[in-house]
Amino acid sequence: MKQFLIFIGKTLLILLCVVVILDVLYTSVYLQSSTRGKIEQVYNSKSQKFDVVILGSSRANNHFVTPLFEQKGLRAFNYGMSGGHLFEASLLLKLMIEKKYVIKNVVLEADLNLSNEKRDEGVSSHFLPFLHQSQTIANHFSNETDFASMYYVPFYRYVAFDAKIGFRELFNVVQQKPTTLLDNSGYYPLYKNPKANMKNDLTNLKPLKNKYFEEIKQLCKENNINFIAIMTPMCSNTKGMNYFEKVNKLYPEIHNYENVVIGDQYFSSCGHLNDAGARKFTSVVITDFF
Amino acid sequence: MFFNSLAFAVFLPIVFILYWFVCNKNKSYQNALLIIASYYFYSCWDWRFLFLLIFSTFLDYYTGIQIEKSSSKTARKFWFWLSIAINLGFLGVFKYYNFFADSFSQLVNGFGFKTSPLLLNVVLPVGISFYTFHGLSYVIDIYYKRIKAEYNFVDYSLFVSYFPLLVAGPIERATHLLPQVKVKRSFDYQKAKEGVFQFVWGLVKKVVIADTCATYANAIFDNYPSMNALSLVLGAVYFAFQIYGDFSGYSDMALGMSKLFGIDLLRNFNYPYFSRDIAEFWRRWHISLSSWFKDYLYIPLGGSSGGMAMKIRNTFIIFLVSGFWHGANWTFVAWGFINALYFLPLLILNRNRSNMETVGLNWNFSGIKVFFSMLTTFALTCLAWIFFRSKSIEAAYEYIVRMFSNRIFEIQYLENQRYNYEIVVLVVAFVLVEWKNRQQVEPISGKYSYLRLSLCLVAIVALGTYADYKEFIYFQF
Repeated sequence: MKQFLIFIGKTLLILLCVVVILDVLYTSVYLQSSTRGKIEQVYNSKSQKFDVVILGSSRANNHFVTPLFEQKGLRAFNYGMSGGHLFEASLLLKLMIEKKYVIKNVVLEADLNLSNEKRDEGVSSHFLPFLHQSQTIANHFSNETDFASMYYVPFYRYVAFDAKIGFRELFNVVQQKPTTLLDNSGYYPLYKNPKANMKNDLTNLKPLKNKYFEEIKQLCKENNINFIAIMTPMCSNTKGMNYFEKVNKLYPEIHNYENVVIGDQYFSSCGHLNDAGARKFTSVVITDFF
Repeated sequence: MFFNSLAFAVFLPIVFILYWFVCNKNKSYQNALLIIASYYFYSCWDWRFLFLLIFSTFLDYYTGIQIEKSSSKTARKFWFWLSIAINLGFLGVFKYYNFFADSFSQLVNGFGFKTSPLLLNVVLPVGISFYTFHGLSYVIDIYYKRIKAEYNFVDYSLFVSYFPLLVAGPIERATHLLPQVKVKRSFDYQKAKEGVFQFVWGLVKKVVIADTCATYANAIFDNYPSMNALSLVLGAVYFAFQIYGDFSGYSDMALGMSKLFGIDLLRNFNYPYFSRDIAEFWRRWHISLSSWFKDYLYIPLGGSSGGMAMKIRNTFIIFLVSGFWHGANWTFVAWGFINALYFLPLLILNRNRSNMETVGLNWNFSGIKVFFSMLTTFALTCLAWIFFRSKSIEAAYEYIVRMFSNRIFEIQYLENQRYNYEIVVLVVAFVLVEWKNRQQVEPISGKYSYLRLSLCLVAIVALGTYADYKEFIYFQF
């Protein structure tokens, strides 16, 4: 038995060495990556100057046409992330401030994402390679239930989120495989989708006094950034449209632009404008705010 | 509680420590601990079905004793058939009732009547097919006086409910397992070490091969109408490795952990994809089930003793029943039928026992012949797996038709944002490792075992699929 316990001890030691070495290796690779996604790009960048930074979910990513801001002479980047919640938007802004970005305006898409304060596991996992390098990221995740495992167990975060930051993504980073996420200054255009679901039901959604919305607002105030929060359009076949009124009751400062693009021909799916719709929408926003 | 879960990683060491450090005085303590652990393990799936398991155990225990004690032939028959009827009754109600009710309703509706089947809202108890077959083999063996009835209920319960084999086999025989649980087990370092190696290799098969192949196979099978020929071929190959990695990986883990408790279980897989014909494949795939059907169905039906017609009839019966054992769906029956068809030429030409020795490859004409016979057998197997994996026979048929008629062999981007060819290298590497080590149970032991172990641990940690978590396929059976 003693021999067996020594064998198990050695096996566990090998396992420990394996996870520590892999953790160091993966983290080192991600620390060199700045062309595969918006989070890596911000984390691995130096100070930058922006007139407009756009934050939010896919409804920011697909709705704010960054080149239209640029045509107006504004240096802009769309940091909206498909699937992302305000948890990630807030952390990304914190990182930009940590990296000493100089930002004049933050445009935040704040509508459906106000209804939850949870993190999106897929999007937020892209912050995790830098968990030990950035106190900002560690603090932001510190209240999450799996924080201890992610922070203290070597390589755990790469195993738990292997679909996003596992071997496959690592391999793509090493190969410097291009993505389209950073094209068009971060704006991702959608087009007509014949299979799209052109209906939505918001009746069960309830806007919250959202912790991360408050954080973003506060960060902007502290760093003299003009904060513009905007609600973006939905298709005509949407139930529970009074959601947007509820948001306005809770947060009168959020501009209701839900109805500035009317007509389903401007939509790729019920919650997402197509490129033509996005251009129409962005033009109105630029006219009104810039 | 899956074998590859964190909960099990806590459960197993606790049982191991209690087994060897607290309950090691005699076999009664050892067995009592294992049975408590097994019932706890099973109740983690669904505690309500624990009562069914205990009832099923008690039924076979009691009827086994009654069969042995009965002096009259009629009484023996009565207890025997009572046990068979109740065991198969449970299986019928939980596993097959809805299928038969639905199929009957469809048949009647086909004649122009309008009926809707009365379906039961029941969940399939995990492992029911496996522990029912344990009990059945035990009762049948007593009835035919091959073994003596077991009078110690704890020992018998352990034979049925031993946690490494409880939910997905291997299907044990009383003649093999009961003698082991009747004696006190002493710790054997070599056996325990082999057990760890086998468990680790099983984990590699499950999380690195099966679950990774599953993400690709699912993306292809679930969207087969939009897939090109190359994707469809790869989909079938990936599924072949998914199911092999999944089930043989589970079996390796079961056998490996059982060695930690000093108990040997029956080998369930013996590198089936290196078979040179279908008969050899079935001697190497799910061995405990194949041999169960051979001993308790094929031979009682007359086996090979009658003429060719009888051999063919019996072969079709066992393949169809084997298919049906896997699940209540016509796709499994079709899968069994196709395998029976594959078997037919070998049976007629009397070549079903021609490849009994371990396969080897030489750089000559015979080596090429062996290689192509293995490739052909694998291709035939993959074709049959399409029926096993598809949702319906029509879907399987369309899949195959599209595979042969589409003629586009281009790299295709799948719905899960991966390219269809991406894991070919992984599959080929796995095949090479298996080929090199086909003479042994797992590839870790031997020279440089620590280096091999380290590589396996790296593969499990770095290449395993965890986020797209998959259950073990055979748990549903």
